[in-house]
Amino acid sequence: MEIELTVNGTPTTIEAGKEADLATALRAVGYKGVKCGCDGGVCGASKVIIDGEARMACGMPAREAEGSDVETIENLGTQDDLHPIQQSFVDHFAVQCGFCIPGMIMEAKDLLSETPDPSEREIREAIDDNVCRCTGYQKPVEAIRDAAGRLDGGGVATDGGTATGGGTAAGGDHCD
Amino acid sequence: MTDNETRPDGGTASRADADAEVEDIDHSLDVDESANNRLDPEERQSVSRPTEKHDDRKLVTGEAKYTADYEEQFPDLAHARVRRSDVPHGRVADLDTSAAESMDGVLAVLTPWSEDVPDAKYTSAGQSYPEPSPWDMQVLNEKVRYVGDPIAAVAAEDEQTAEAAVGAIEVEYEEHDHVLDAGEAYSEDAPHLFDPEDVENKIVGHDYERNRMASIGGSLGDVEAAYEREDTHVHETEWETIRQSHAQVELHTTLAYTDEDDRHVVITSTQVPNHTRRQLAHLFDIPIRDIRVKKPRVGGGFGGKQAMVVEPIPMALMLATGRPVIYEATREEEFQAMRSRHPMKVRAKSAVTEDGDIEALELYALSNTGAYGSHGMTVAGNVGSKPMPLYSNVENVRFEADVINTNTPQTGAMRGYGAPQGTLALEGHLDEVARDLDLDPIELRQRHYMEEGDVDEIAGMMGGEGAKRVIRSCGLDECVERGMAAIGWDEIEQPDAEHLHRGVGMALSAQGTGVAGDELGGAQVMMNEDGSFHLMVGGVDIGTGADTAFVQIAAEVLGCDERDIVVKSSDTDNTPFDYGAYASSTTYISGRAVKKAAEDAKGKILDWASRMLGEPVEVLDTADGEVYSEATGASVTLEEVGYESVYGDETREHILGQGTHSTDESPPPFAAQFADVTVDSETGEFEVNKLVVAVDCGVAINPGMAEGQIEGANHMSYEMATNEGITFDEEGHAEVADYDDYAFPTAAESPSIESILVETHEPTGPFGAKSVAEVPTNTVPPALSNAIREAVGVRITEMPITAEKIREKLSE
Ligand code: FES
Ligand code: FES
Repeated sequence: MEIELTVNGTPTTIEAGKEADLATALRAVGYKGVKCGCDGGVCGASKVIIDGEARMACGMPAREAEGSDVETIENLGTQDDLHPIQQSFVDHFAVQCGFCIPGMIMEAKDLLSETPDPSEREIREAIDDNVCRCTGYQKPVEAIRDAAGRLDGGGVATDGGTATGGGTAAGGDHCD
Repeated sequence: MTDNETRPDGGTASRADADAEVEDIDHSLDVDESANNRLDPEERQSVSRPTEKHDDRKLVTGEAKYTADYEEQFPDLAHARVRRSDVPHGRVADLDTSAAESMDGVLAVLTPWSEDVPDAKYTSAGQSYPEPSPWDMQVLNEKVRYVGDPIAAVAAEDEQTAEAAVGAIEVEYEEHDHVLDAGEAYSEDAPHLFDPEDVENKIVGHDYERNRMASIGGSLGDVEAAYEREDTHVHETEWETIRQSHAQVELHTTLAYTDEDDRHVVITSTQVPNHTRRQLAHLFDIPIRDIRVKKPRVGGGFGGKQAMVVEPIPMALMLATGRPVIYEATREEEFQAMRSRHPMKVRAKSAVTEDGDIEALELYALSNTGAYGSHGMTVAGNVGSKPMPLYSNVENVRFEADVINTNTPQTGAMRGYGAPQGTLALEGHLDEVARDLDLDPIELRQRHYMEEGDVDEIAGMMGGEGAKRVIRSCGLDECVERGMAAIGWDEIEQPDAEHLHRGVGMALSAQGTGVAGDELGGAQVMMNEDGSFHLMVGGVDIGTGADTAFVQIAAEVLGCDERDIVVKSSDTDNTPFDYGAYASSTTYISGRAVKKAAEDAKGKILDWASRMLGEPVEVLDTADGEVYSEATGASVTLEEVGYESVYGDETREHILGQGTHSTDESPPPFAAQFADVTVDSETGEFEVNKLVVAVDCGVAINPGMAEGQIEGANHMSYEMATNEGITFDEEGHAEVADYDDYAFPTAAESPSIESILVETHEPTGPFGAKSVAEVPTNTVPPALSNAIREAVGVRITEMPITAEKIREKLSE
């Protein structure tokens, strides 16, 4: 079936099977920055922003995206001109294998558009359903905090240095 | 093939007299270190600078290509799926594939009896040759040994059809009794997984009558005599670890096709391209030269891809269909049929005098290797050979391990490689001893741990190269000191609430850097006429940043901008040989090969510059993209040298530098872990306030990347302390199918981790580097167990540490 939607500002028609999920459909038309790391709706690697909200594209049937406005990682910066969130991830060494990163950056973008100055706790909650196996979340959290400053134009840590610890640590639900 | 000998470090046997006394030091105390290897911080141009990770811009824009992203280049790509055993132990009595075969879009259905399916025995372990793992596997299996063992494979036009076809295959089993627990499997009357003739390349100590695939050990001095002594206290403790999943976010994925030159190309998410090429050649009886293994970007490995896990399936289907085939595992398969960390029970025993002299130290491990023995013996060997040498001053030491097959998914290599299991037992045990004898836990350790200049015999006591190892760099003192300061060891404040108790605990760890005497890396530097370079290297970047470290090492030698080096890695047709990314070897071994290749090229560059400047080579050096004279200050640019060498009037030369590196050395990196925890004594609930880990990795080639490795490893270690891992029901079905079942510590559930880099200089490593990525994987379980013991007085020895276990112990 044909699905009409807007991807990264461009009206797009996607040809997709009835059962196809949006992640597969987007990948099929070239948005390879949408990653798949689980059997659907859990790992966060396929997050895109749908009508202003970060969601896992694989958890949504492509047909439900009819008429939606979808933004993928491809809509952010280019290699020569990174978006401030992307630049912050690079500067903080927050990227290892990178597989989880597009999804995490889309979630961060969503977070920062609603909460321009998030606490460490708020950042951790926001990316709570973005599985990253490489970083232990430490540097991505620091990168997102710094990105908030960069987007804000104030309080920018330009040295790529470590954001302050903030004192909030484990949530505690790991122990039950 | 005859039985293999033990080589506990992950290498191949080279020493039959494992227990024989070693008279000579295997390598000299002195190391011939070139002057350029030891640079003061202010002399460094590239090394230990925060160079941007070279693939990051592609990664953050989503443009980097992992294996699955190659799909679009193959319009006729077929998709593979695998039918796996539903029973934990049995024989496939009948397989009806007719319904699957007649489905529209199905291209091939392969069974254990199909012509295109190899029936050779092999091990999936990606190790050197001959592998120190038994050849006990087959690609598709008539005899099945765990729920998930592959039985049949399908290629179809699309994934849904392949999936449907796999479901349409009807299997009848002749079921056998099964056994899931290593202790039970090791008893006389347990069902047997293997007849001895089922296995080739058997490993020392195998006893298939008792499901034992290997047994190894070694000792120094006389532990028994120390236990008997009147002035020693003997302590014995027992510890248990989880079956941890690698859970790397990129699924195991392989795309196989035959190219225009009739060569078989395998694009695959692997840590071991060269081993995989050799193993595929063995299985399919195709010459090594006709197979090309190409590693694109890899989405994490952690040991789970130090194995040829999925590659034979698309290869067989590609040969059967004549079409390119991709096989991307599902997450469920990842948890149920790929690899995991060997769950173990480890017993620790010691003899310690009243005033804290450790007279004897002993570990015994019972390891559950699952259905097949890949990495079974070598991981078990590392339970002893990695952590125990920390206390190289202890004279009487013994280690033994039995490795047992069970009807559970096979385990494999995983970051830490046995050291986490051994470190939990050793560091938890010492903490208990210190408490019992009223000794300071840090001082007890400090009195016995190794120092620079020590000769360590423990790492080699089970055989292998480097039986006596000289410790040439050791930053343990500083790791402990800075870790204590960062956690606030002496100034812990108790919470106001009476039911809340705060405690800090610590643990130490040592790892190795590469497999002593069993590594090889190769590299080539080619100069372009514009003064830039191509760096061809076999070393495997699986997301670690290795490619960036290679570039920094080469740039430091060549005196050029890092952006003037184009790195090409891990393509067996185009890059030199390399054993692969494992055993913490990449920066040390492959990086050293890069350094040699760059030095070779630099020598030729200086020769050309010498002719061009009319000055002797001795006064020339490179920096900032130039060759300059220390005598006159005259200079030529690398670009001028590049053009002159290629287009010169009189003579011409393509400046090529080559390097290959192999060594008997495996210097240990060190870690000091600290955990700060608050425990609720009413509920047993606990909160980890902070983790601090200080690591001596020699000179960090890229400090930001090194910190990232430490934090990621420590998070994985934290998971080992707090997560159930993969568990099974009584019928051997895994109870974990996706990340949400696995209860992986998410961002909000993870404590903040402070990583501290302690710089030492390892003279055998490139610019002083040794490894970093494994050692912090070993330490959270003991440090957290010790912290909880400190906070509320109870000892949790069986991982994971849970509120329930604490509550139970508190009520005892
Ligand atoms: S693939 Fe979409 S969330 Fe995992
Ligand atoms: S960077 Fe590898 S999974 Fe996040």
